[in-house]
Amino acid sequence: MSKQREEAQAVMKRHMGLKASARISNTVIHIVLVLMAIIWLVPFVCIVLQSFRTETNPDGTRVTWMVPYIVPKKWGLDNYVNLFKSDFKDWYLNTFIIALVVAAVQTFIVLCMSYTLSRFRFKLRKGLMQFMLILGMFPGMLTMIILYRVLKDLGLTEAHAVPGLILVYVASSGMGYYVSKGFFDTIPKTLDEAARVDGASRAQVLFKIILPLAKPIVIYTVLTAFMAPWGDFVFARYIAFGDSSGMNAAVGLWKWLTQDMINLRYTMFCAGGVVVAIPVAVLFMCLQKYYVEGVTGGAVKG
Amino acid sequence: MASVKLTKVKKIYDNKVVAVHDFDLDIQDKEFVVFVGPSGCGKSTTLRMIAGLEEISEGTVEIDGVVVNDLQPKDRDIAMVFQNYALYPHMTVYDNIAFSLRLRKMPEDLIYEKVTNAAEILGITEYLMRKPRALSGGQRQRVAIGRAMVRESKVFLMDEPLSNLDAKLRNQMRAEIILLRQKMDTTFIYVTHDQTEAMTLADRIVIMKDGYIMQVGTPAECFDMPANLFVAEFIGAPKMNIIKTELLKENGKYYVTPFDTKIEVTGEKGAELARRGVESGPVLLGVRPEHITLCREGEGIPTILEVNEMMGSELHLHVYVQPKEEGEEDQGEAKEPAPVDPASCLIVRVPTIGLTADQRKNMAYGAPLNITFEGKVMHFFDPETEKNLLL
Amino acid sequence: MKRYTDMEYLRLSKGRKFLYKIAAFFCAIPRGLKNFFLGIVRAVVNFFKSIGREFADIFTTFVKGDWKTKLSYFVMGFGNIARGQILRGLLFLLFEAVFIVYMIVAGAKWLSMLPSLGKVGPHEVYNPVLDQYTTEYGDNSFKILLYGVLTIFFIIAFIYTWRVNIRQNKLSEQIIKSGKPLKSGRDDLRSLVDDNFHRTLLALPLTGILIFTVMPIIFMILVAFTNYSGINDGYANNLFTWVGLDNFNTLLAWEGAGNVYSATFGEILSWTLIWAFFATFTNYFLGMFVAMMINKKGIRLKKLWRTILVLTIAIPQFISLLYVSKMFDKNGIINGLLSDLGIISQNIDFWGSTAHNALLPRVMVIVINIWIGIPYLMLIATGILMNIPADLYESAKIDGAGGWKQFSKITLPYMLFITGPYLLTSFTGNMNNFNVIYLLTGGKPINAAASSAAGSAGYTDLLITWLFKITTGEGAKYYMASVIGILVFVVVAVISLVVYNLLPSIKNEEDFQ
Repeated sequence: MSKQREEAQAVMKRHMGLKASARISNTVIHIVLVLMAIIWLVPFVCIVLQSFRTETNPDGTRVTWMVPYIVPKKWGLDNYVNLFKSDFKDWYLNTFIIALVVAAVQTFIVLCMSYTLSRFRFKLRKGLMQFMLILGMFPGMLTMIILYRVLKDLGLTEAHAVPGLILVYVASSGMGYYVSKGFFDTIPKTLDEAARVDGASRAQVLFKIILPLAKPIVIYTVLTAFMAPWGDFVFARYIAFGDSSGMNAAVGLWKWLTQDMINLRYTMFCAGGVVVAIPVAVLFMCLQKYYVEGVTGGAVKG
Repeated sequence: MASVKLTKVKKIYDNKVVAVHDFDLDIQDKEFVVFVGPSGCGKSTTLRMIAGLEEISEGTVEIDGVVVNDLQPKDRDIAMVFQNYALYPHMTVYDNIAFSLRLRKMPEDLIYEKVTNAAEILGITEYLMRKPRALSGGQRQRVAIGRAMVRESKVFLMDEPLSNLDAKLRNQMRAEIILLRQKMDTTFIYVTHDQTEAMTLADRIVIMKDGYIMQVGTPAECFDMPANLFVAEFIGAPKMNIIKTELLKENGKYYVTPFDTKIEVTGEKGAELARRGVESGPVLLGVRPEHITLCREGEGIPTILEVNEMMGSELHLHVYVQPKEEGEEDQGEAKEPAPVDPASCLIVRVPTIGLTADQRKNMAYGAPLNITFEGKVMHFFDPETEKNLLL
Repeated sequence: MKRYTDMEYLRLSKGRKFLYKIAAFFCAIPRGLKNFFLGIVRAVVNFFKSIGREFADIFTTFVKGDWKTKLSYFVMGFGNIARGQILRGLLFLLFEAVFIVYMIVAGAKWLSMLPSLGKVGPHEVYNPVLDQYTTEYGDNSFKILLYGVLTIFFIIAFIYTWRVNIRQNKLSEQIIKSGKPLKSGRDDLRSLVDDNFHRTLLALPLTGILIFTVMPIIFMILVAFTNYSGINDGYANNLFTWVGLDNFNTLLAWEGAGNVYSATFGEILSWTLIWAFFATFTNYFLGMFVAMMINKKGIRLKKLWRTILVLTIAIPQFISLLYVSKMFDKNGIINGLLSDLGIISQNIDFWGSTAHNALLPRVMVIVINIWIGIPYLMLIATGILMNIPADLYESAKIDGAGGWKQFSKITLPYMLFITGPYLLTSFTGNMNNFNVIYLLTGGKPINAAASSAAGSAGYTDLLITWLFKITTGEGAKYYMASVIGILVFVVVAVISLVVYNLLPSIKNEEDFQ
């Protein structure tokens, strides 16, 4: 009898213990998350603070180099003013144009590709997908030189790098069909079939049925296509070949942090970084929902 | 409003699997034909070949005398209702039904008339402005039918349209489809795996298995004279009892000997056997559960009741015939009862109305029951070919 | 090895089961290899068989065809036009005309120069009009190789079109014989948005891939067999030539004097693999862990935590990574902070620029890569975690599984199953993760032993960043980079092939569905 009661008490205790331990573990997790949030935010906070740093030396020259403290001793907008007096505005405009065009064209191409691979069963479909998989295993870095030479022959390098860059970004974008194909695969095929029985041609199926349903993935594709050109500095640098008017923001800012420029341009780099990051980040945060849906295959509705 | 003719239609998938073998069928104008069979028998594939959603590997499909093999679905003038309804989720019910008409560039006021008309027949007028996701299963089903209805096409195809509904709704919709059919007066091809649907809806049933047609006929033909063992077991519920036994010919009369009981084959069946001059030999004997009757102790076949399913107006009794005891009876510890031989299991369908309260009370697990059946209701199948001996 | 039946296997002890599985795995390898090579042999045989069939078909079509078909062998599209398919016929004819004109004007020249890649270098020529010597640039090997390859592409395309043209004639004859009408130009155009819509949709993307990906890759492979350095820019030094396997010998000859490449390659390859392993799995498990923390019941502000982490995806890497790399500079903020707090007395050289210490920078890039990678993995893991059916956990709880058992018996297998292919691509992606390394360290600190090899490889250099240095820096050796590029491809392909065939999600596709 007493043994039973003991057991019951033990169970009760365990139960209470469970609750208490859950509370403790939740507290621990909250602390961990706060710490993580700090770690993840610090670099961005720092860069913003540094961009407002306008200290001067006793002799009047600006302290434009790196300093080992976070909070500026003197605040001001000088960095931003100087930024837009420099070549940066060209780079910024270049990048913006590239991003817009690439977003439009690349989305079109990716959708063509992924819709076809998801819906049509033609003879070479499997072979095509495997072939693209294999192509993706070659280091793309090496094609840079030849693409540069081809573009140079077409007169699309250096000062005219912008159309050249667009061409290269867009041309191979069909290989990035994977995510949106996955999305198309989740739209039931019977919808296509019903529409075809209802009298729609394949093209009408795409425009009237599939595309309206694929809004999240279209936005995802536009978003990723728009963001990529802001970050590319390797190929863009090669194509611009040192000509400032053909650079994009990434290349220009990257150049400012090289050995011989960093001491003059460090705070301006921070300001430039903020100016580049703001539109991209704001756009991203607004459309985050679609991005998360795209990455997680629709499981998480951001 | 058209005939459909399939000639030697074959479906071979890329992996060399043959889904449909030499399918031959003539469907008359305004006929209601049901393809029925277990899943994977090729019935849906055949329907989809008629619709143009699946390529035809060999043979021809004709609609109204025109070979449609190379036509796109949109050019075949067909309407189709899908198993999972396939409603366009981004369109309202009205737009869903109007979709095909708009593709045909019909004027909007005519579209309005047709859509509202169809909606009225189906009783979905109040939902016209809703999106499919806000509808219940039955309502979605009606929308899907409405979408096919307004096409006024030559052939009306339905691919398991009721299988996603619950049992009650399914019965209701089944009745509505019968009504609909009277209103529409067109050629119907209907695919289902449910034999009840097939029996109740069809003018003619096409029973399929593994890509082959097993039997084509009216529901009554298929029920009364199943072409083979498969059809016999597939049509009718609960399924037909099959007993492995011997057919004896003595003095021009035929007897069967199920479970050591000798029963004479009488009536038409006996006459037909005699006419065909069938000799003695092993046979698969088929008896439908409703043709088995209970009889007094000491008569018929002694069996033991295992499961008693109370269906309301009737009882479904699962009984088994005990194997002959060998040697002395066990007096000591109860031995583990030997597993029942599935070949000796029978199902008996008894109307409750003829049973006394006492009888019903006694029908519990382990109760002894004696059963018998008449000679005129038997079916005979060849144990080798499984074909009906009388066909 | 003794094979157990299923029932025998089930009665083995846990340890024996494990050993049996390992043994079975290794026993399966020879069979797998055999099947693989047999598959290749079969593919080659089939290829030649189909070529043979094509030739036979071309021949019989010619013999049996009518005069329209026969003439089409020489004038493409003639049969189509003669049979009333004007549109198709004209397109064939146009293609043939363009091909012939191109071959006469330029194609033949490029092709003929392809074997030598040009002989005449830049030289001075006396110009009698100006009465002075001017520079003639001579042959340009780069252009010869490029246009030679393009010409070969073109010829292949022509042969294919010619074959299609013949097949069409054969089909047309058959259709006419059976008494059906041929498709008109209008039918053809309409089928482009219906029957053949996929061709319409694929035309543009595939052309882009062909010209901007396939062609450069073929060029790159060819360069591995030349001595093209990449710096001759069309002016002074235009000539290069085929060198056969010399470059491969240079890279792979493990002994011999002055052989810096092989050692450097080995060292960088091993670091690349180590990096890819850690970068993939640290991110994977930590990302999953973070996702589980955020999704745990009772955690508040889930959306806030997620948004903060996702910020690193939103901001271009060149900003965040460059800035972080400067934060960890010897005179950067982190060192400043640490010395202000009195934790360190001497600034830490995180990037090892002076100390030539390999370990710390290597650990640093992996750690910072976690910072970059966790948010992405967190999203993916969240997606999958939400998809795990709740009843799996409920039934496990009823069966008496605790938190850890639930994780190890349900969550982890499920995750691994679903993300198997992702893990593979992320591993190979990390092998080629240019951004993180280049922006953080630029490959530094310099590896003194290897620096004499082209491109001055550093301790944190991956193969891909090393390639970049070899192709673009001073003393560029594109031909060596090409060789390394091919080897990178081989490594990635082998890893992918082996892992892909072992993945449970490929082998037992239905397990979790």
